[in-house]
Amino acid sequence: MTEYLGLIPLSIVALSAAAAMLAEAFRQPGERMWIAGLGLIGLFGAAIASGSLWNSDAHSMGVIRSDNFALFINIVLCLIGILTMVFSNEVIEREHIPAGEYYALTLFAICGMMMMAAATDLLVIFLALEILSLAVYVLTGIRRSSAAGAEAAFKYFLLGAFSSALFLYGVAFTFALSGSTRIEDIGMALSAQASGSPSTVALLAVGLLAVGFAFKVSAVPFHMWTPDAYEGAPTIVTAFMSTGVKAAAFAAFARVFLSPLEPLQAHWIPVLSAIAGITMIFGTVVGVVQTNVKRMLAYSSIAHAGYILLGIVSANRDGKAAILFYLLAYAVTNIGALGIVALLGTGRHQHDELRDFSGLWRSRPGLTGLMTVFLLSLGGIPPTAGFIGKWYIFSAAIQRGHYWLAIIGVLTSVVSVFFYLRIVVMMYMTEGSETERPRVAAAALAGLALAVIAVFYLGILPTRVLDLALESISTIL
Amino acid sequence: MILSLIVFLPLAGALLVLLAGGSGDRPDRERVVRTLALAVSLVTFVATLLLWWRFDSSSADYQFVERHAWIPAFGIQYLVGVDGISLFLIVLTGFLTPLALLSSWDSVHKNVKMFSFFLLALESSMLGVFVSIDLFLFYMFWDFVLIPMYFLIGIWGYERRVYAAVKFILYTMAGSVLMLVAIIGLAMAWAQASPTGTPSFNLLDLQSLTLSWPLEKWFFLAFAIAFLIKVPLFPFHTWLPDAHVEAPTAGSVILAGVMLKMGTYGLVRFAFPLFPSAAMHFAPWIAVFAVIGIIYGALVAMVQPDMKKLVAYSSVSHLGFVVLGLCAMNVQGLEGSIYQMLNHGVSTGGLFMIVGMLSDRRHTRLISEYGGLKAVMPRFVAAFLLITLSSIALPGMNGFIGEFLILLGGYLWNSKFAAFAASGVILSAVYMLWMFQRVNYGELTNPKNRALPDLTPREWALVVPTIAVAIAMGIFPVAFLRPMEPAVKRTIERVTGRSFAQTPAAGGWRLAIWNGGGVDRQPPRRESPGFKPPAGVEPRTATREPRSAGAKNHD
Repeated sequence: MTEYLGLIPLSIVALSAAAAMLAEAFRQPGERMWIAGLGLIGLFGAAIASGSLWNSDAHSMGVIRSDNFALFINIVLCLIGILTMVFSNEVIEREHIPAGEYYALTLFAICGMMMMAAATDLLVIFLALEILSLAVYVLTGIRRSSAAGAEAAFKYFLLGAFSSALFLYGVAFTFALSGSTRIEDIGMALSAQASGSPSTVALLAVGLLAVGFAFKVSAVPFHMWTPDAYEGAPTIVTAFMSTGVKAAAFAAFARVFLSPLEPLQAHWIPVLSAIAGITMIFGTVVGVVQTNVKRMLAYSSIAHAGYILLGIVSANRDGKAAILFYLLAYAVTNIGALGIVALLGTGRHQHDELRDFSGLWRSRPGLTGLMTVFLLSLGGIPPTAGFIGKWYIFSAAIQRGHYWLAIIGVLTSVVSVFFYLRIVVMMYMTEGSETERPRVAAAALAGLALAVIAVFYLGILPTRVLDLALESISTIL
Repeated sequence: MILSLIVFLPLAGALLVLLAGGSGDRPDRERVVRTLALAVSLVTFVATLLLWWRFDSSSADYQFVERHAWIPAFGIQYLVGVDGISLFLIVLTGFLTPLALLSSWDSVHKNVKMFSFFLLALESSMLGVFVSIDLFLFYMFWDFVLIPMYFLIGIWGYERRVYAAVKFILYTMAGSVLMLVAIIGLAMAWAQASPTGTPSFNLLDLQSLTLSWPLEKWFFLAFAIAFLIKVPLFPFHTWLPDAHVEAPTAGSVILAGVMLKMGTYGLVRFAFPLFPSAAMHFAPWIAVFAVIGIIYGALVAMVQPDMKKLVAYSSVSHLGFVVLGLCAMNVQGLEGSIYQMLNHGVSTGGLFMIVGMLSDRRHTRLISEYGGLKAVMPRFVAAFLLITLSSIALPGMNGFIGEFLILLGGYLWNSKFAAFAASGVILSAVYMLWMFQRVNYGELTNPKNRALPDLTPREWALVVPTIAVAIAMGIFPVAFLRPMEPAVKRTIERVTGRSFAQTPAAGGWRLAIWNGGGVDRQPPRRESPGFKPPAGVEPRTATREPRSAGAKNHD
């Protein structure tokens, strides 16, 4: 029985996804049904299950390991899922998104993400990657009438499939190298060969795996899909995938690169350092000229991928814990910011251009205040979660001696503040446009309140969560 | 407890204001909000006075220290305390915030609730900057200060407010973030050196750290640039005129009165004591820019057609004096600098209020629009004159003490700097008096000025305390210099390695500045544990002009 303990959180989410599908199937035409509730039950259940598995380090069938690292990511994913669910109800009704499919796909995606964070076998990671990717491709194009959505989904699908193929190719080389796809076996095989320079096969394997992950976390130069997919997808889906996919992909990235591939550090750290630097610079510099808020936040998410990569190239204890903390901080912040954009949209009007935000302060002072907090947190200004996340990531990088990357990091943060402030300027300092803005439901407001409390909690009293993050990485040291 | 109370009282008041103001912009709640905000700021001011009253003037240590573990895994503490250097900056902040609120009483009507909220939040964060001893805590307050100020300029400012606000925040933030890297680097260096391996952000710990010369040099530069941008020292001053001119009166008062001092305070509290040999190495260069700034600021101020811009450039000039005094690193220079920080806060804050009063009446700040105001508003002109005289350092007023001490200290260090800087004193008289004359004397030519009302009771409440403080500080400097002195001496000991004779001179207690600043009685330079001069840098021996000989070695 203990064999299956590690599967409990993701099974709960999978069950609730199936329930959501059935609910849609048995729904009478015109009957209103709160399908999000099923998802919420599943997600709360998974979060509680993850909490009670803490420190149990449950292995399942040798390929899933619910260690604290995976459980931490699980809880982050549940939080992302819960916030998505509470924002969704009105939004999908206004945008005429089919509810059953939407909730089921979102839940299946979360299931794939949890699996990805817990997988200890490269093939299972691939499987999880495909589960979450297929769900997210469909979610991107779920507004069938929208040409932009279809284009975004198609682009995302093609490039995603391409990157999956590269990843699989990397898995094949790894298998050729070590005779196994299990992470611990690969690690042992590599450390046995560690003496002398590594073979070409080893370098190819590492390179292809890195490319596969870099696609998913949208690091430059593998970021091409990100702006289009984020812009074309319904805003609520953008909020979900910008945080969820990133968390899952970085979890697997860290698990694969920071333990079994450690013997090859000297070879991949310089390459990933360069990618991290370019990603931070490119994401912020291109973000500056955007006039569409979703596109701007897409480039900002590219830049944030660069910051999190700093944690990977630091390859030390603090770096690993910093990745976890940053993913959590980024999740609550970004889903809050994009959630507000989604909540302000109507079916006809996306409310995602910069000018749509002009004078928001007068008509929606509360929402404007929340949006300001989220934007300042994205910019890394104290006392918010974003500041502590950046501080921790840069500390890890400096500890490793990556002074230049830290300097690039802080300077690009300043540049990014410029474009976050463009939204703030629009909201507060520009006279209002008569944009039609819908009411925000109580459940969504509660979700926003939760996110903003989390942002300040992580920013002012981060000790508890930092300790948890440090506890979580003991198995991938 | 009293320090946390002082720091967080305005913030609590700010949140209270949000609640009291209702949702949205409610003009009917304006009065309640204003009164509440003013009351909170006055209570805070009284608390800062209480702090001064209970302060032990004979001690160089931090007082009212509060220490709580905050993020123990990284050695981050909530560690606050006050010494003679920060004490008066706290009192100054407490003094200026109610005046700033009062100065906006009739001019700000757009969403008063948020205006008061931001002003009080700003006060909290500035006070936090002055009490923090933990570098992490300090950085959080330091960075957060920008946000309320950004909104104050951007929402309630004049025509080009958005441009000025964005320039202000980006410019000053770009400087600060490099300091963040240096702070982290410093804490990591501590972690490597300490047996436990945990980092520390405690200033007192980090001061005892020995760094390699390249590291010390880069860290010092990162700190110094962050602070010098804030001061702002020439050539980093370009954000200041924009920010000052576009900010509402209350914003200008706080910006000039307190925020600029955060830069000079940072130098004397953090940059110099943490990196003494790098500080000594770069001090002559910083002083060169300070002197250029003194003269340049004065010359540019002279030709400004806009009164606010004139006062803004005069700040560049005055802050140049402060930086020069800090670089001299002797008792006269340092005490003069700290004194001048306070003077500048009072007199420039006063000038911005005066300009704000004119601007409220006529909605223009151009000097050419005025002239002959003496005929219509004599009381206003009298107040204007007194504040002008305080700003140009008339003997008997506060500015004189500060500038005199700085020039004295500068002269003891390097007479050339003092000679050039002294020309700034003359130039300041030129540009200030010339402006005063063009605005207030001569024929009343502009018909729009004929019916201007004189000072209202509210404006009396603004100018009377300002002038009273300016005169008091000119007549009783000892009341302010005495509490400063132990901390000043300790800072000098830490930075230069000189030590002061412990016994006071015969005839009771005297200020060190009046008996040669201890310069005469110095034993040879003490090798402090933790301090290793880098190769090529001679430890300075104490002579009558202890720094000029050493400074030449580096040039």
